[in-house]
Amino acid sequence: MPNNPVSATAVRSPQHWRHLFAGDGAELALRVALIVLIGSALALASDAFLSTANVLNVLRQASLIFLLAAGLTLVILCGGFDLSVAANLTLSACLAAGVIKSGLSPWLGIATALACGTAAGALNGLAVTLLRLPPFLATYAMLWILQGLAFHYMGGQEIFGFPPAFRALGTGFAFGVPVPVYLMAVVLFVATVFVRSTNVGQEIYAIGANPEAARLSGIPMRRRQMLVYMLSGLMSGIAAVVFLARVNAADSGMGEPLLLPAIAAVLIGGTSLFGGVGSVLGTVLGAIILALVINGMNLLDIRAQWQPLVVGVVLLVAVMVDLVARGRRERIG
Amino acid sequence: MPAILPIGLLLVAGALVAVHGFASTRNVANLGLQASILLMLAMPMTLIIMSEGLDLSAGAVLSLCSVVMAEALAGGHGLASALAASVAVGLGFGLANGAMVSLLALPPFVVTLGTLGIAEGAALVVTEGNAVSGLGSGIASLYALDVFGLPFPVLVALATWLLTYVLLHYTRFGTYVFAIGGNRDALVLAGAPAWAYHIAIYAFGGLVSGVAALLLTGRMNAAHPTVAIGMEFDAIAAVVLGGTSFERGDGRLLGTVLGVATITVLRNALDLLGIESSLQVVSIGGLILLVIVIDRLRRSRREQVA
Amino acid sequence: MNRDDTDGSGQPASAVPLLALRNVSKTFPGVRALDDVSLDLHAGEVHMLLGENGAGKSSLIKVLYGAYRADAGTILCDGRLVEITRPADARRLGIAVIFQEFSLVPFLDLAQNIFLGREPRRPLTRLIDHGRMHREARAVLDSLGLDYDTRALAVDLGVAQQQMVEIAKALSQRARILVMDEPTAALSERESKTLFTLIRQLRASGVAIACISHRMQEVFELGDRVTVLRDGRRVATLPAREATPDQLIGMMVGRAVGAVYKRRQYGKAGEIVLEVRGLTTATGVRDVDLNVREGEIVGLSGLVGAGRTEVARAVFGADAIVAGEVRIFGAIAKGGPERIAARGVALIPENRKLEGLALKRSVQDNLLVASLWKLFPRGWYRAGVARACARALIDRLRVTPPAPRRMVRVLSGGNQQKIVVGKWLAAGCKLFLFDEPTRGIDVGAKSEIFALIEDLVERGAAVLLISAELAEIVHVCDRAYVMRAGRIGGELARTELSEENILRLAMHGA
Repeated sequence: MPNNPVSATAVRSPQHWRHLFAGDGAELALRVALIVLIGSALALASDAFLSTANVLNVLRQASLIFLLAAGLTLVILCGGFDLSVAANLTLSACLAAGVIKSGLSPWLGIATALACGTAAGALNGLAVTLLRLPPFLATYAMLWILQGLAFHYMGGQEIFGFPPAFRALGTGFAFGVPVPVYLMAVVLFVATVFVRSTNVGQEIYAIGANPEAARLSGIPMRRRQMLVYMLSGLMSGIAAVVFLARVNAADSGMGEPLLLPAIAAVLIGGTSLFGGVGSVLGTVLGAIILALVINGMNLLDIRAQWQPLVVGVVLLVAVMVDLVARGRRERIG
Repeated sequence: MPAILPIGLLLVAGALVAVHGFASTRNVANLGLQASILLMLAMPMTLIIMSEGLDLSAGAVLSLCSVVMAEALAGGHGLASALAASVAVGLGFGLANGAMVSLLALPPFVVTLGTLGIAEGAALVVTEGNAVSGLGSGIASLYALDVFGLPFPVLVALATWLLTYVLLHYTRFGTYVFAIGGNRDALVLAGAPAWAYHIAIYAFGGLVSGVAALLLTGRMNAAHPTVAIGMEFDAIAAVVLGGTSFERGDGRLLGTVLGVATITVLRNALDLLGIESSLQVVSIGGLILLVIVIDRLRRSRREQVA
Repeated sequence: MNRDDTDGSGQPASAVPLLALRNVSKTFPGVRALDDVSLDLHAGEVHMLLGENGAGKSSLIKVLYGAYRADAGTILCDGRLVEITRPADARRLGIAVIFQEFSLVPFLDLAQNIFLGREPRRPLTRLIDHGRMHREARAVLDSLGLDYDTRALAVDLGVAQQQMVEIAKALSQRARILVMDEPTAALSERESKTLFTLIRQLRASGVAIACISHRMQEVFELGDRVTVLRDGRRVATLPAREATPDQLIGMMVGRAVGAVYKRRQYGKAGEIVLEVRGLTTATGVRDVDLNVREGEIVGLSGLVGAGRTEVARAVFGADAIVAGEVRIFGAIAKGGPERIAARGVALIPENRKLEGLALKRSVQDNLLVASLWKLFPRGWYRAGVARACARALIDRLRVTPPAPRRMVRVLSGGNQQKIVVGKWLAAGCKLFLFDEPTRGIDVGAKSEIFALIEDLVERGAAVLLISAELAEIVHVCDRAYVMRAGRIGGELARTELSEENILRLAMHGA
């Protein structure tokens, strides 16, 4: 062993926790400030905003966006993209609804959603690593395939009315806080520990920052890419369960309106579209900002039809801010 | 020749044998009508994909154009000014997409995803989510017009094909589409304003969407804010099936036309067999996969020889 | 342009040079790329430019083409003072440059490529006049004696044909001054001959040609005059027929001694660590045999494009092996970089920014990326431990500033290179493949890198050192292989190592 400069065990680990959220303090503070700003504006504009019920409602909305966006964050950190997250949610929710409605255990329904989500994610991963398709193309095709399967399965119908115990996952409260918010906290914690405090998480950042350098540093790139697409699928499955429990109904169009908000949440959260930079905590803040915007539109009686337009604008603004913040890619002419 | 030709021929043969009513005069005419709007979206999409781009907003922009046209007609304006309004909206979106892709070097799929949301939202806002009808008979009779035995929509689609062909092969614009996808630096070194041509590619797409709204609106004599969303999938699928490459600035308009024909035949045959639209999407996805795998196998064999 | 034959002195008879550089200098931070260089190009001459890597040839070309702007000095065209600040200026003056990377568009045909940006159009319709374009392209190709179909796509051409089309493209712009950067680097012997015939025809028609070459044979076969550059300065310009290979090689390498690293002692070789037999790859390596022993620094030299980098990449599993085998500690090594790296092999790649570093990540992240599983075998990354390891490495490598959280992008080239090396130190590697480790870094950092390399072998590691800088190979290595055209041209023992011997093997073959 000629060249090992220090042995891992010889060094005492200092404060480990601070590391989880370290590094991007200023950027996160900026986002918190933005949340406070939008919140204050809404509080001034509408009396209903600061009611406990409404604040919890915002958090519940944010949790749903976040659950989808968390998986997407991993994929984007790793230098990929996943356009299929919302369609994956739809199919997973529809299948789970079918299972539960047929009288089987809700646990089986949950398992179905998670399995469906992960399987679809694995197919994305295979298309990217094995067929070497550009990620946006592979996941775009997957979007329509999953959407098509969901349409077919539902046959234009709705499935609704689930056992109260299952619905509690979406609508229930514990100690006055909605259950999905706890779920958001758990996912935030686990995902943050995963990307910040595991070797695999470090490798995901490395691949996203420079895939060729990562490969030439001996990182098993394809396996890591497979993993992030599968995790993204799994998160779609989890989000599907929460969404299903909350609205107590499944239909084949349920996930689609969440795609743009989820992407926007990741980008507003400071994760770079070009990979290798960003955090899950940022995504939570991004999700809260989007939930605030959507909530504010409701409170101010702006018709729901405006939502795609506003989210589209927010998305483009977020991309451009990312561009300015990270320095644009070099290109002559 | 792209792998799509034998596959498409097999498909037609299969449909002729197995699908009752496929070869009827009525159905063949129907096929032409179904293909025409898709062809109009797929022609500029070919150029966009050749330039290493993508336009996910095409369907949403087409819907919006149709809504704008219908609102203008319903508001008592003439067909010409309605068309002008529609084309202006389409062109505006094309220019915006192109500017963000070309000048800011943003990834096309995210840019056009954002403009997809904006176009969809705008269409919903204008219509309050409802269909627009009461357009009078002008546009419907135009749609039903026969010119030299060809239905008006088919004629417009063929004209778009011809126009795109001329643009691609007989103008500097077309030459530079190849260059932007294949070796953009070479174009810059040759002193051409590559950025402007890059924007023009997307602008052309918007412009054609504006015209295609004429067919979409005429077909139903009404407009619906989200009716064409998803049509960009068929257009992208047709281009990919036709053998246009995402990476090297290689493209074939004829391939795209074959792709459009294949998708139209597939959808029509499945319709006649009573298989719903959702599974048709899945089958198109499967077809793309098949073509890509065949393409990869052929290419890797060629690389081994080299 | 009248063509006067060159007289005995090698000086063309035409008095006013077509293009003249007078006292041109260009400085980059830490590097003097061009130092008071003067150069004349006369109509109807082939002027060969010779020099080692980093001698200033590329910078010279870039100044000519307006890609760089000189800090000092003047450029005269036909005796008149001119400014070249953009490629367009150069084109207007009739200067065409053919770079090593081609500027052809793959799916356009030859005529379209030749006239890219200048397509002839019909007066009224503004549509491209294909007939005229193909006729004119035909005429240009005919004038070069090329019978290529003008409707063939560029993508279907071989490298040699692409090279010819590049020349046709330059000539169709009525270029009077043609600059070529190693035009034969990718060509076979026979293709080179065709190119030479072409170049002679151009010379006969009065074009001034400047040609960078690394092959001695070409210099004499093709050149009327030769200019040798070294360390950004012009050493000499002389008629080719009066020069001898040894004289030119002497001019190229004759540097001030002392600038190069001195080994403390040359190694005692131990057991074989790396053994390569019959290695052949799709990237151009042909039947290469070599071995590296414990405690040894083995050089792998040769000209640019000889296949050195490709050998290293194949050993590391980054490129596929077509034939032959690679053994590490006697066991056959197979699989991608993750499998090879796990067996204690390190690659310090040629292009550190593209292949070696994640520029937007921190020093610490980059230093530890290859040793994560070594440091944290159970997969739990501990930031405190990582920070301490990074600090230890930073101390050992003397990275400045010693800030683990600093973004790698803002470090100097030398410090960046130390980090690429450093990431493998923590991984406990036993075989190091260094690919041009000192390219583009300053003298101080160079000797630090070499001290590090010597330190490695003294601790029992085996090192394969790829370098085009001959002095490095001569002074640092225990022995060296010299590659030529994808093959091993010869092996030099410590006692035989000299710059002259290496160049001889690299340029002529054994």
